[in-house]
Amino acid sequence: MNIVPFQFKPSQSQDSLLARNTLLKLGDIVKIQVKRSEGGANNYQSFEVPYSQHMRVLDALNYIADHQAPDLAYRWFCGSKMCGSCAVRMNGREVLACWEAVLPEMTIDPLRNLPVIRDLVVDRTPYEKRVASYKPWLERDEPYSGFPEPLTHRDMKSVSKALDCISCMACYSACPVIGLGDLTNFEGPAPLVQLAQTMLDPRNGAKKVASTLESIDIFSCVSCYKCEEVCPSHIPIVSMIIEPLKRKVAEVHPEKARHALVFKSIIARRGWIDPTELVLRTQGFKALLNVRRVITLLLRGKVNPVKTLFGRAKVSAAAAARFITKDKS
Amino acid sequence: MRTITTDVVVIGGGAAGCYATLCLRKKGLRVVMICKGLIGKSGASIFAGNLVLSGRLLGNTEEQARSTAEFLIKYHNQFLIDQKWAKRCADWIQDCYYPELEEIGLYLRRNDEGEVVTNPGKIRGVAANVQGNSGVPFMDLRRKQIIRTGIERYEETVVTALLKRDDGSIGGVFALNYMTGERFVVQARATILATGYSDRLHKRSTGTRELSADGIAMAWRAGASMVNLEMQWWHTNDVAHPITWQRVQIYPNPILGSVHSARMVNNAGEEFFDQQKDDPMAFGPYTLQLKALYRQVQAKKARYDGDYFSGFDHIDKKEIDAYTTYSKAYKQLGMSGSDHLLETAVTAHYRQGGLLVDNTTMKSTVAGLYVAGGVGGHSNGLIALATYDGKVVADSVAADFDLLSVEPVSPSAADIEEKRIMSLLRSEGSKGCGPGEIKRQIQECMWDHVGVEKSATSLNLALEHLAHIRQQALPAMRLRQSGTLANYEWLDALDVINMLDATELIILASLQRQESRGPFMRLDYPDTDNKNWLAANIMHRTQSGIRFERIPYELPTFQPGFERKPNLEVGW
Amino acid sequence: MKLAYYPGCSAQSTCAELNTATLLVAKKLGLELTQLFTATCTGARELRAVDPLAFYSLNVRILALAEKDNLPVMTVCNTCTLNLLDAQTAFQEDPALAEKINERLAEEGLHYSGGTRITHFLWVLFEEIGEERLKSMFVRQLPGLNVAAFYGCHITRPPLQYGFVDSRNNTSLERLAVLVGSQPIDYTGRTECCGFHTAAEDENIAVNMTANHIASAKANGATAMVTPCPLCHTVLDTLQPEMNKGRKAPFKMPVLHLSQLVGLALGLEPDELKIDKHVVSVSNINRWFGRPPSVVERELA
Repeated sequence: MNIVPFQFKPSQSQDSLLARNTLLKLGDIVKIQVKRSEGGANNYQSFEVPYSQHMRVLDALNYIADHQAPDLAYRWFCGSKMCGSCAVRMNGREVLACWEAVLPEMTIDPLRNLPVIRDLVVDRTPYEKRVASYKPWLERDEPYSGFPEPLTHRDMKSVSKALDCISCMACYSACPVIGLGDLTNFEGPAPLVQLAQTMLDPRNGAKKVASTLESIDIFSCVSCYKCEEVCPSHIPIVSMIIEPLKRKVAEVHPEKARHALVFKSIIARRGWIDPTELVLRTQGFKALLNVRRVITLLLRGKVNPVKTLFGRAKVSAAAAARFITKDKS
Repeated sequence: MRTITTDVVVIGGGAAGCYATLCLRKKGLRVVMICKGLIGKSGASIFAGNLVLSGRLLGNTEEQARSTAEFLIKYHNQFLIDQKWAKRCADWIQDCYYPELEEIGLYLRRNDEGEVVTNPGKIRGVAANVQGNSGVPFMDLRRKQIIRTGIERYEETVVTALLKRDDGSIGGVFALNYMTGERFVVQARATILATGYSDRLHKRSTGTRELSADGIAMAWRAGASMVNLEMQWWHTNDVAHPITWQRVQIYPNPILGSVHSARMVNNAGEEFFDQQKDDPMAFGPYTLQLKALYRQVQAKKARYDGDYFSGFDHIDKKEIDAYTTYSKAYKQLGMSGSDHLLETAVTAHYRQGGLLVDNTTMKSTVAGLYVAGGVGGHSNGLIALATYDGKVVADSVAADFDLLSVEPVSPSAADIEEKRIMSLLRSEGSKGCGPGEIKRQIQECMWDHVGVEKSATSLNLALEHLAHIRQQALPAMRLRQSGTLANYEWLDALDVINMLDATELIILASLQRQESRGPFMRLDYPDTDNKNWLAANIMHRTQSGIRFERIPYELPTFQPGFERKPNLEVGW
Repeated sequence: MKLAYYPGCSAQSTCAELNTATLLVAKKLGLELTQLFTATCTGARELRAVDPLAFYSLNVRILALAEKDNLPVMTVCNTCTLNLLDAQTAFQEDPALAEKINERLAEEGLHYSGGTRITHFLWVLFEEIGEERLKSMFVRQLPGLNVAAFYGCHITRPPLQYGFVDSRNNTSLERLAVLVGSQPIDYTGRTECCGFHTAAEDENIAVNMTANHIASAKANGATAMVTPCPLCHTVLDTLQPEMNKGRKAPFKMPVLHLSQLVGLALGLEPDELKIDKHVVSVSNINRWFGRPPSVVERELA
């Protein structure tokens, strides 16, 4: 049998920005493999680039274009984390080329989940179209009251974070649900951040918010935080964008948030989650159609109908009931 | 080849081009937008760090309103500006600009109590969301406005030539989509050039990658006159390493909600500039910083390309992080923003000069060709001014519209351009160097000889060098690949020609201005000479070459108050 | 070492074997656990989205229960860990929120001052016991086990909570695998997501995503997987038959809870650790201990 042992690397023990900026010295050689379009699916071209002070991935790509492969296609405009056009994958992880420190050995690939035009240049159109389809602009219910209009930063806390988005699409490439393709209609992290800029803005009209959120598939987010990990703008995408958006959806379209609302009501009543009740109430009795599975789960003690029917932790349930906001319905 | 016919074609997707487009659309005109980069994501507009309040906005006093106007005229333009235009512009910013931006949803940063956060001082600014990053949400909003209107737009598409009608007027453009390789012609009654303030003509430049002075070069080839091309602004506080961070600025501007700002230290550890102490106007002191740095370079305590340091190590970290992005570079390098200084270097910033325009109509000297924003030679350096141009040019085109020619461009014009473009794609042989290499040679030549310190000797040397490149390197230029998909070498080849044309004009204009003024420092003419040179330095294209013209500026409100003194002793 | 033990909902229902194993293993390791019987669910992902105040309150309440006994709280679930950490951060950073929560806690005589340390069983192994002592306590080696560590998300991300620039640099499970004498395997799924949090409503995402992880582990030679999270375990193990539908070579990939792997090394027997309660059973667990499989066995496998 083929065995691929896990290799421990010294760099893993100190994974900080400071460490990443001090791995190399002037004159060291950075070894780079770059994915090229010409010459087949697995064509990686090797380059060696002398390290220069504080060298970024983009500096290395520029060096390659200047000295070794002038025909290398890669996109960038500003070089300073503002235009968001230079994201690539370095050793399998999404980075903004202008912002990320080089590593002694790097493999550079184009972003995932988007068509490649050539080499490291991806077609931005699918992302742009998706964002545009949500009509990401304010439609006020009340006429604008004149500058400065009443508004506090407290109202705009999440929006303010969302406004740091530079549409670099790093998270769109990193998102495992987007990676599943047509299996879901999930918007993807960056489109949701773009959406949040107006959906969470108290100035936006209620009608506009409700109509935009009607077609949203936000509950397909698996909360994996991959997006937060790669976001060069450090936007807390899950906690400050997706969760507030989910809350908004649950408010205006509770039918779309069925699972979350059932979950909440179970905790309110029991104090803890009974998975059997959760699945039955969320999926309905179709959950029982998989008879073989139900039997296996019963035999292995993974479901316990007695507990589901009669179990209730008194003290916890009382606490939960006190804390949890009652739904209007 | 495809020909698109429209009412107006706008070249450029920054603040000026976007606003011109939106205003024209509102007036019911059909517009086609062409952007060499991505609309609202390339060009100088995304770099707008903060937004200056003009007039009596947000409780500005009469004195603050006056200081702001004085700042624009003195510090940003060294009096080379029409003061009446500046007044019109300031009034518009006060009355229309902020309300319009806020109405469409721009978030001007508030505190938790709901007050718009400003910096204290004689001149006040606000930020869109975060100081240092204002241009990003600002331009993103413009991008979405453009998308919302459904305006026909072509991005990552470069205009390679302004096309003429038989009567000599501009009737459209030739364009190349460098992602797909498609070439096409846009015919329009009016052509608006909005290609921006800054270009990558020097080794270190604040312009985005795609900027190569295309607007200046194409307009000059089409016969347009230029003004003050020599007036080049410099940043002194951009991060020296990594190379790619040459537009990561340690902002010297006042910090929102704070009385502090950045300081500069030489290689001997001596502080030589603290914005709050050394700048009497307390706002964007780029020229004063440059003069202070010049003295350090003379004393061998700094170089223009590094060996001096900037930062906020004298300020409470919380003050920096409350409303600004100013510590982002330090953090990314694994440092704390408050206890480190970063090595910084000079970077070529905005060019004050550009096309000669009538600032009431934004017409260039060529019929059919209009101008908006930084590529015009009428002002310098603020996103609000560029936006104002967008409004003026839209009003002007709409007013002229019925009188503008509907004749198509000369049929041969597009063919000639197509041949020129395709001939650049040649890749046979390997003798010549690639366009990227030639670009670098031009940028190094400009940095070495047309940098902060200039003289007739250095400028002539640069001309010789560029002539050599034009005669030797250019004809032998070869591309590695002749494919048409995302072929950046092809784009570079086009850029090289524009850069050669523009740099030569800039150097000739620099030779003409025989004085030093603000950031324009000539070692052989160290004095600011208001008697002779408080004037527009105009270049006209003639059959035989270039004709210079000098027209003094009127000084209705602000005057320099001296005829002649050493530039280094001038406080602006 | 004394710890307040918070098992979470899963370990008390669908993954009851985790609770059993953890209690046994803790005893062997000399950890004195006080179970927080009156605690509630931490709200998983759902409550934090739809009712943040309740989410913070319930989590702070758990921290307050531990604080009352002056004990650090130990979890065995990634999502519970992150929820408690996030609530702790919010409590510390937002005084108004802290006051509001304490008002509500006062109704049952509780109060939280903000100092409870939150730890996961995985960290207890490294930080409280230490690799040296663990090694000395391990009486059984598992050389026949090629183990694919499956971290799950909420113990390595978000970066603001855990500090990894690249979460793939979390290597604690592999280090542990070496300590128990087994071979850690490299594969693409190590720090990927199992999709659990969408599974109660629609299993498709979890099934499709996690099938890729198991396939990679299998292709790279893993004979079992280990996870520190019962939610990941539920997908990896309970949903594995769904992944096998239509698959020519079914996975048959046993998945261990972290406590079970440690328990085996401590000399506990597989049935004590309830390894037989998993949906995917281990065909011959004795092969993991001691002697390497014969050629015949290898071919049969």
